[in-house]
Amino acid sequence: MTTARGKTIFLWTLVMISVVVLSAPTLVVLGASFTAGNMITFPPQGLSLKWYASIAQATDLREAFLRSLYVALICTLVAIPVGTLAGIALAKYAVRFEKALQIYLLLPFTIPLIGSGIGLMLIFGNAGILGQLWPVGIACCVINLPFMIWAVTASAGSLDPDLELAAANCGAPPLQTFLLVTLPAVTPGVITGSLLMFILALNEFLVSLLLVDARIVTLPVQIYNSIRSIITPDLAAISVVFIGCAALAITILDRLVGLDVFLKSK
Amino acid sequence: MAVAETGLDRLAVEGPVGSTAVSVRNVNMVFGDYRAVDDASFDLQEGKFLTILGPSGSGKTTLLRMIAGFQAPTSGEIAINGIPVGHVPPNKRSIGMVFQKLALFPHMTAAQNVAFPLKMRRFDARTIPARVAKYLDLVKLGGFANRRIHELSGGQQQRIAIARALVFEPDLLLLDEPLAALDRKLREEMQLEFRRIQRELGVTTINVTHDQREALVVSDEIIVMDKGRIQQNAKPSATYRQPSNSFVAGFIGVTNFLSGSVTDVTDSEVAFIAGTQPLCGRWVATDVRPSAGQSVKGAVRAEQIRVAATPDRLDDLQTTVAGSVMDVIFEGERVVYEVRLASLQDATIRVFDHDPSQHAEFEAGARVFVGWNARDVLVFAE
Repeated sequence: MTTARGKTIFLWTLVMISVVVLSAPTLVVLGASFTAGNMITFPPQGLSLKWYASIAQATDLREAFLRSLYVALICTLVAIPVGTLAGIALAKYAVRFEKALQIYLLLPFTIPLIGSGIGLMLIFGNAGILGQLWPVGIACCVINLPFMIWAVTASAGSLDPDLELAAANCGAPPLQTFLLVTLPAVTPGVITGSLLMFILALNEFLVSLLLVDARIVTLPVQIYNSIRSIITPDLAAISVVFIGCAALAITILDRLVGLDVFLKSK
Repeated sequence: MAVAETGLDRLAVEGPVGSTAVSVRNVNMVFGDYRAVDDASFDLQEGKFLTILGPSGSGKTTLLRMIAGFQAPTSGEIAINGIPVGHVPPNKRSIGMVFQKLALFPHMTAAQNVAFPLKMRRFDARTIPARVAKYLDLVKLGGFANRRIHELSGGQQQRIAIARALVFEPDLLLLDEPLAALDRKLREEMQLEFRRIQRELGVTTINVTHDQREALVVSDEIIVMDKGRIQQNAKPSATYRQPSNSFVAGFIGVTNFLSGSVTDVTDSEVAFIAGTQPLCGRWVATDVRPSAGQSVKGAVRAEQIRVAATPDRLDDLQTTVAGSVMDVIFEGERVVYEVRLASLQDATIRVFDHDPSQHAEFEAGARVFVGWNARDVLVFAE
């Protein structure tokens, strides 16, 4: 009995430590953003919403935030068709050189982001599109695409292998089979992947840092620039807005496809 | 190989004898060095229920998929209603199929699944809801139209898959082991359900299974396959009582094989010696006669053997052999004895005892006698 009890205590201790470590940064930022003082401190000195009012007034932060949303949108819109088709192809069809292709698609993961960033900077520079915002979205899509492909592959891989044959047997020609059966059946994976892509692009810092100039900074870069001059609690407030966006995305995911799909990558 | 049909068997089949619904001619399917289907030929009459029975890897599913149009035969021809379908894609064939894992569309409701073939086959949109309702009623799921697939039980999903396969009134219904994953009680219930629906609609049906009991229960005809070849094509009773070779004899029912060599051959009977035991049986193959000294095996079903404590209780049987009980298995409606026969080189045979008054009369280790009639021993070439 005592060993069972000891085990329970041990496990709970581990869980509590994990919970504290994982949530501490979020809680500190959350607390600091409500401070009434003029310095980022934790615990906060008094409670107020004045830093939220301040960021609502700050046009540079607001514009940077809108630019980040734009980048995330471009990234997601490109990732949906590309990632969905690639994911279905890898999961369902006997693609030639499948293994090599999978490794190739994982390359952006294995190369350090700084390397990808420099590469993309050179390419965009040569193409003469450096300094515009939409290429940043494309760049985010390129480096994060494996997430999208994984989500779709997982979804397509769990389907009944006879599903498309069943559609043909019902009289559906190949295009209808794809549009009416295959595609809807992998929708949970597409939604999961899209939201991941959106959040990742929204938060992307390193690659953006290399690709933007002073006129088109995205929000993470803007925050970074501010930290280098003065650290004020408005940065904590804007971080909380960021966290709110991620939380919103996860809520949407849960509503649309269920979090279990996301967690188990079904 | 065809087995003669009696007049009685013919009368038992409902409806008029129709035209040939499915014709398979010398069909081969070769994957590299592997011959999945080897020269298969058969005809199926309209309205009949055919079961292709065989162990896994026997080629039965490959044959079914070629009929459905999912795979093209390496050689040979398949015709449906007299029309060769070699160049007809699966979506242009009038075939309904129930898949092994059902392959219902997960993002649609039950009714949408059933309506899908009607939409794809361009039925008049105004008639679709009524027809879907009719077929949901047929499979007794009238109240479940708007359920999602994952909200239905295994048996209900089976029924939706049947409705989806039948709703467009196909010329042919194919069943690809859809019952294999069900528990025994539900499986037996669904077997009878398939039978009921098939009779009600009169649709020509080809069922694939490895379950010999299912084949016997539901079919008008059974094709037994092994290693890509059709071993026998006959009515269920003939498949059971007149297996054309030792594979069929062993695959269906519980069969004891007694190996020996031929000592004498008469017109209808073969005498052979197994171990030190002289035995007698019927020679099955009609084309070749066995010769003395040839290796053969006699097949005798467990239910054709009787067991008794003394030989005089078996004196109405032509063969009696002494043995000892190795194991007793109580199965409820019968007791199965495993009996070792010393005179047959310690061969162990299985014997069914259906006589309740004798139940558990013998225990493991008991000295017993087993007996059978020569006409119940079918002799095959080794």
